Amino acid sequence: MSTFALERDLATQGRVITALAERALRVQLRRAQFLLPSFLLPLLLLAVIASGTSAAQQLPGFPSTGSYVGFVVSGTIMQGTLLAGLTAGIALAGDIEGGFFDRLLSAPVHRASIVLGRVLGTALIGIAQAVLFLTVAIVIGADFSGGAVGIALTILLAALSASAAAGLGATIALRTGSLSLMQNLFPFVFVLLFTAPAFFPRALLNPVLETISVVNPLSYVVEGMRAALFNSPALGSVWAGFAAGIGSVILTCCLAVWAMRSRVRV
Amino acid sequence: MVSGVSSPKKIDGEQDAAIVVEGLERIYPGGLRAVDGVDLAVASGEIYGFLGPNGAGKSTTVRILTTLLRPTGGRASVAGYDVVEQASQVRRSIGVALQEAALDPLMTGRELLQLQGALHGLRRAESKLRAEELLVRVDLVPASDRLLNTYSGGMRRRLDLAMALVHRPSVLFLDEPTTGLDPVSRTSLWTELRSLNDEGTTIFLTTQYLEEAEQLADRVGIIDHGKIVAEGTPQELGRLVGEPGLYVKLIDQAQSDRARELLTVHGAVSGRAAGGLTIRTGLGARAIAPIVRTLDEAQIEVDAVEVEEPTLDDVFLAVTGHRAEEAAEDDPA
Repeated sequence: MSTFALERDLATQGRVITALAERALRVQLRRAQFLLPSFLLPLLLLAVIASGTSAAQQLPGFPSTGSYVGFVVSGTIMQGTLLAGLTAGIALAGDIEGGFFDRLLSAPVHRASIVLGRVLGTALIGIAQAVLFLTVAIVIGADFSGGAVGIALTILLAALSASAAAGLGATIALRTGSLSLMQNLFPFVFVLLFTAPAFFPRALLNPVLETISVVNPLSYVVEGMRAALFNSPALGSVWAGFAAGIGSVILTCCLAVWAMRSRVRV
Repeated sequence: MVSGVSSPKKIDGEQDAAIVVEGLERIYPGGLRAVDGVDLAVASGEIYGFLGPNGAGKSTTVRILTTLLRPTGGRASVAGYDVVEQASQVRRSIGVALQEAALDPLMTGRELLQLQGALHGLRRAESKLRAEELLVRVDLVPASDRLLNTYSGGMRRRLDLAMALVHRPSVLFLDEPTTGLDPVSRTSLWTELRSLNDEGTTIFLTTQYLEEAEQLADRVGIIDHGKIVAEGTPQELGRLVGEPGLYVKLIDQAQSDRARELLTVHGAVSGRAAGGLTIRTGLGARAIAPIVRTLDEAQIEVDAVEVEEPTLDDVFLAVTGHRAEEAAEDDPA
């Protein structure tokens, strides 16, 4: 392929990815079935935590973050992005069952663009979630010493977390093509959350969960958010967060593209 | 296969054919042979009707031709491109409207058209302009900013057709485009399809409706159990059934049994739901005089006599030994 043709192809695929991301975003925001778990459920949990469990920060070994809400909002963002990724998978399974997926396949687009459009749309939702949850946390008393830079880094990590979750959701949807199976995966989101230091520091997890948290990439992402928000290396490593986030995005997107190729090679 | 005589119009070589299919096969895991050695050619600018009951292999053939499914044998080209080796070029050349108008209910008509434009590489401004043109064309401007879940079946079908036209395809595949539509919506879609064909678009249309194939198609292929069992123009296929029959309506239906008994000397007589009798004599209209004379001599008064042209349903029955509806009911696929 000549350089000109390659550039033209990349520009075309860029437009395709953007258009599919716009659609993913639009449909997600229009469907209460998607909006509630992605935005409302994490907010409810944050409100419950803010009102009733702030005594947790009195536990020995709990890091100093000013307020428990300030500590836990990273976990809320993680929860929201995981649920957004799952709903992305549900939406894709719905497209497969409903036939819209065939419309995408019969168009001259790269198979990877179909996956990346969904992932980009979910990343944008992750950004919206992070902005909303951080705003609510600030309103109810959180004080982030990391300032604007810390908040910006957290938002970027949220986008990575949402992208990785969308890649995973897309992989499962493409492998199974089953809407009902995808809808039954909600409990696994909480398994992933509770095997990462989403709501408590690693030191306060029981030994089994603490061991699992070492291999759960979400641990590094959520700790990276806290480190950024409080500008405190004691809470985690921002770089490790980005490394884990980027690695997870690459891995899950590759898995999704592979699942896509398997599905269409029929 | 029973040939309806004609070769496809305008085809001198493969380059003139919009669709060429040779020995196409698709065997699903488990051994179901959905498409079993299909050969066909569709000329540029032709409307080809692909007729058969549910499970006959129509949709599988369309999925192969639109690159959504790989064949397990044979070859096929669309717009001059091989459907396996040059799938991307095929996708650029075709418009596809699959069964049941798979449209996202949470998007508006305009949004879906613009998305389709982007999928076909149109820039945002081009896409908006094209969407506007197509909304006018399919008469959906007033509903264009409403969510799809408020559209009727006919509106969804029209939008589906518009989406298939976004990139001005040379070949259009329509899989049962009017299934489930009311007669008014069906007629409206037929008019649009004729208009598209007049502009030069080749149309490959699958349908269960014999009337639809008769109304629209230049040529018709009849598929049954994965094989093409007859092909030709609707008129040519009609001739496979033989001379037209005669429909005789009596003034006094109570004399129907007596009339049936008398008319058997002229040919096979069958009853009809409307109350009259159909007689197949092999002579067509030339049998009118002797039949009327026979009834007159028996003092049975005739209300009307009509020549019954054979329908594609008769062709289906003649070449497969069963009615299309029966096959659809029998086949679980």
